Amino acid sequence: MSKEVLVVDGLNMHYETLDGLVQAVKDVSFTLKQGESFGLVGESGCGKTSVAMSLLQLQPDNAKISSGSIKLDGIELVGMTEKELRTVRWDGISIVFQGAMNAWNPVAKIGEQIREAIREHRPDNSKDENTEKITELFNIVGLDSSVMDRYPHELSGGMKQRAMIALALSCDPKVVIADEPTTALDVVIQDQILKELKKVQELLGLSLIYISHDIAVIAEMTNNMAVMYAGSIVELGPTKDVFSKPKHAYTRLLLESTPSVVGEKKKLRSLDGEPPSLIDEKKGCSFSPRCPAPSKECKNQELEMKLIEVVKGHYADQCCVECG
Amino acid sequence: MSNTLKEQEELQKQLRKEAIRKNWKLFSQSKLGMIGLYIVAFFLFLALLQPFLFITGIWNPAIYDPVVGYDKISANLLVIECPKEYPSEKYESYEDCPGPGEVNIKKLYMAPDLEVGDYYDTFIQPAPPSRTHLLGTDSLGRDVFSQIMEGSQVAFVLGLLSATLGVGISTILGTIAAFFGGRVDAYLMRQSDLVLMLPSLPLLFIISAFAELKVWHLAIVLGVLGGLGGSVITIKSQALQVKVKPYVDSARITGGSKWQILFQHILPNVAPLALLFMVFSVTGAIASESVLSFLGLLNIDMSWGIMIYLSQTDGFIFSGLDFWWLILPAGLAVTFLAGGFYLVGRGLDEVFNPRLRKR
Amino acid sequence: MAEYIIRRTLQMIVVFFIFLVSSYLLFNAIPGNAFSNLLLNPDLPPDAYEKVLATYGLDKPIMERVQLYVVNFFKGDFGYSYKYYPKTPIELIAERLPRTLMLFAIVNIVAFYTGFLVGKVLAWRRGSKSETWITVTSVFSYTVFYPWFALMMLWFFGYKMGWFPIGKFLYPEKWYTAPWDSDVIFVLMIKFTAIISIIQFIAYIMTRGIESLSQRRNLRFASLLTIAVGSYFFWNTGDALTKKPYAADIAYHMILPVIVVTIVAFAGTALLTRTTMVEVIKEDYILTARAKGLSQKRIRDRHAARTALLPVVTSFIFTIVTIIDGSVLTETIFSWPGMGQLLLQSVLEEDIPVAMATFSFVGVFALIAHLVADISYSYLDPRIRIKSQG
Repeated sequence: MSKEVLVVDGLNMHYETLDGLVQAVKDVSFTLKQGESFGLVGESGCGKTSVAMSLLQLQPDNAKISSGSIKLDGIELVGMTEKELRTVRWDGISIVFQGAMNAWNPVAKIGEQIREAIREHRPDNSKDENTEKITELFNIVGLDSSVMDRYPHELSGGMKQRAMIALALSCDPKVVIADEPTTALDVVIQDQILKELKKVQELLGLSLIYISHDIAVIAEMTNNMAVMYAGSIVELGPTKDVFSKPKHAYTRLLLESTPSVVGEKKKLRSLDGEPPSLIDEKKGCSFSPRCPAPSKECKNQELEMKLIEVVKGHYADQCCVECG
Repeated sequence: MSNTLKEQEELQKQLRKEAIRKNWKLFSQSKLGMIGLYIVAFFLFLALLQPFLFITGIWNPAIYDPVVGYDKISANLLVIECPKEYPSEKYESYEDCPGPGEVNIKKLYMAPDLEVGDYYDTFIQPAPPSRTHLLGTDSLGRDVFSQIMEGSQVAFVLGLLSATLGVGISTILGTIAAFFGGRVDAYLMRQSDLVLMLPSLPLLFIISAFAELKVWHLAIVLGVLGGLGGSVITIKSQALQVKVKPYVDSARITGGSKWQILFQHILPNVAPLALLFMVFSVTGAIASESVLSFLGLLNIDMSWGIMIYLSQTDGFIFSGLDFWWLILPAGLAVTFLAGGFYLVGRGLDEVFNPRLRKR
Repeated sequence: MAEYIIRRTLQMIVVFFIFLVSSYLLFNAIPGNAFSNLLLNPDLPPDAYEKVLATYGLDKPIMERVQLYVVNFFKGDFGYSYKYYPKTPIELIAERLPRTLMLFAIVNIVAFYTGFLVGKVLAWRRGSKSETWITVTSVFSYTVFYPWFALMMLWFFGYKMGWFPIGKFLYPEKWYTAPWDSDVIFVLMIKFTAIISIIQFIAYIMTRGIESLSQRRNLRFASLLTIAVGSYFFWNTGDALTKKPYAADIAYHMILPVIVVTIVAFAGTALLTRTTMVEVIKEDYILTARAKGLSQKRIRDRHAARTALLPVVTSFIFTIVTIIDGSVLTETIFSWPGMGQLLLQSVLEEDIPVAMATFSFVGVFALIAHLVADISYSYLDPRIRIKSQG
């Protein structure tokens, strides 16, 4: 039994906007084990990125973590001072951002930007050691070491994303978050990057959190996964189980709306309606307005949303387990 | 049919209202913008208050008119003789004698029959602030507060007129340069180079030598010079960004004529920046007017610059703060109104530039 | 790129030609001329005025004069000053320019550094109460009615407190026995300032590549120390020692104008830096930098401010263009006999050759600076590459 690296418990986060409070993350809990790859899937705007940002506490100024705990190796991150957080960032948790295009500073060389991160966390390293480390990382992600002396605008999108992965690995972090790392890339490059990431993960035994709206990618990349809807996790379990026996109506619909190349031909189902506005807080199942066949619990607006264990290790939201 | 048209219009109206409400909400969140707006509103109030006071007869034009008004302010002064040694019983140092309400016999060589202990009636100009003249009078006996009000009318007329004219010119030229490119662009850019090359202050000197500049003339001159200069370049670069937006392409594909695209698609999207520019150039116009008046080059009856000019030529500016009402109000008015417009510009910037928004 | 520069240069020459002709016509169109006051002198023989005009060629028709002027201009002959005959405009400019450069070089360096520093701190603290008030103060210091403000400062520091001299750039009584002209001292001071800035700049560039942050800081400090020690020795040995009291006199006269102009000039840079920084802070790479665990100061200085520097530098180049134009007011108020005063006086007295020469000087300066700004911008920002048309 490998140990638990990251434990998130009852995390709540909201944004203060002109139109009111936006409850972006509602009571999210999950654990990440050493060497495990964990997927977070959901529609755009369901709070996946907000979860990632909360883990590093990089949320914008108008976002507040109202309650919950994030423990990295048993150390509580919520409520840490900025100075303590700085030691955790990159050294403890690093992140590959969704838009690698803009994640590099346009006026500094790639190598310098990676070096800077290492310098911050390993101040005693010599320049040669750092160069060696970066070359090694570039080898892993399949980049030539000459990329170090290039400016971001001289690289292609795929190269930038590879360099980004190298950057994320530069301080040997305990946890790496990949926040839709392939969104802006074309399919071929996407596939390469995914393979690279998977290879790196297996090679280095990384604990990886993979965030995506693409359920097929999650299936390929992860051991365990969680499905998010409107800020809360509606289903959580081993990836295999979630795919073969989805318990929540939303997961089922999500799976049915994705084409599969292998297996029998099925008519794709589309999901009607839009995700609910997160501004007004409501009790009861958040999915009920779009649920194709709501159960009694789903229609019951008084029932709290809460994960229950359906099968061992496989959880789903109690409101919609019985739906359609 | 007409019904749906009406409905559509109604909807558009509502949308516009909604947009204005939202923009206002954004603007009101900008502390800087609101501070600026308060300042501008204050001066606008002053500018409008003066005619109101004259029309309602609260102020008598003969006394309060900023240019030809005159108020006899007499004071009854005690004639004294200054002691030879200091400190004395009454005075700390040489400068304290004569004190307020007193006059030194040596200063009264015009009235030889007066003796120490007599009272002497005299007109004092400039008179310090009093209940009838909130900011005192200047050396010609004119009410300073009324001059400040007149000055803010001048500042508003001149600032807004020249800014509108200048931004109008630069917006049209800038979008044309961006839209047509090539030779038109090169010509317009070199033209603004030419305007930028001319040193502005000496140029205005030369222009003022040709003709006696009044507020209107100056507004037009400043507007044209500002409109042909650097702002064309900035507007052009904005228009270039708009030009490559997909909706412009789609308008072209659906067969919009060049002018139609220019006026219906590009111009409206450059407009926010132009508005911003306008607000900022008001700041510049107010400053230019004040500097020119200060140097005595304008043929304007009254403005803040002229007030400073007069207080300087009368030598009050080096008498320090003894005559503060002649020096401070006008200078601060120029500074604050120009700053107010600048701050409003900053506030608008946060409304129109989503990248600057905080939330 | 080369093609672009060539085309721009050709366009510039055409623009300059138009500029030259139109300013000449403009000056000649001013009613009266430099010698009109001769007519008012009853002691002079009646034909004196005509004779003087003929001497200076002012009796020729205007079109012929324009032609002559432009031809001579490109031959390098700028004529003689009407007022300071037999000095040529070039001599006058050579005498006045160092004075203006000295004053405004210091002002601009100080204003740029302080403005940039204040601006980036303001942007970083966006939304805080102190930020609002500092910004409002900077805005008012930017929009302050300049002549009024300068006179107030002059009154307070020069007259009331008596700390600084009122106007003039030296005490004439000190210079009666001086073996040098003031220009010699000015040139020496300019050279000194230039060398210091170059050494500091080189030190900055050299230390950029050093890995350890503390080592880098120490080296930079050492370079500053070297400069301090070096300048001490420079002013206390040989030739410079004898010139020191005179240089000190000029420096003393410079303090107040420098302070006053800096207060006004720094605010512009500060506000521009704030605006660009506020935009840059929203960029994704700032988030990356934060995620990397870098310190706030480092993110601010190395990531946000470095990118925000670009537009600030461009605007700085444009400010340099307007130095002479902007010096008109300052030099008038502080009675500083530099280029600005020369420009103003020559225009007012219709000393056309001098006015034309200063105008052209300002014009050429502006044209070149614009070109440099455009080109340097493309080098400073690796993303921007100039395409064919300007």
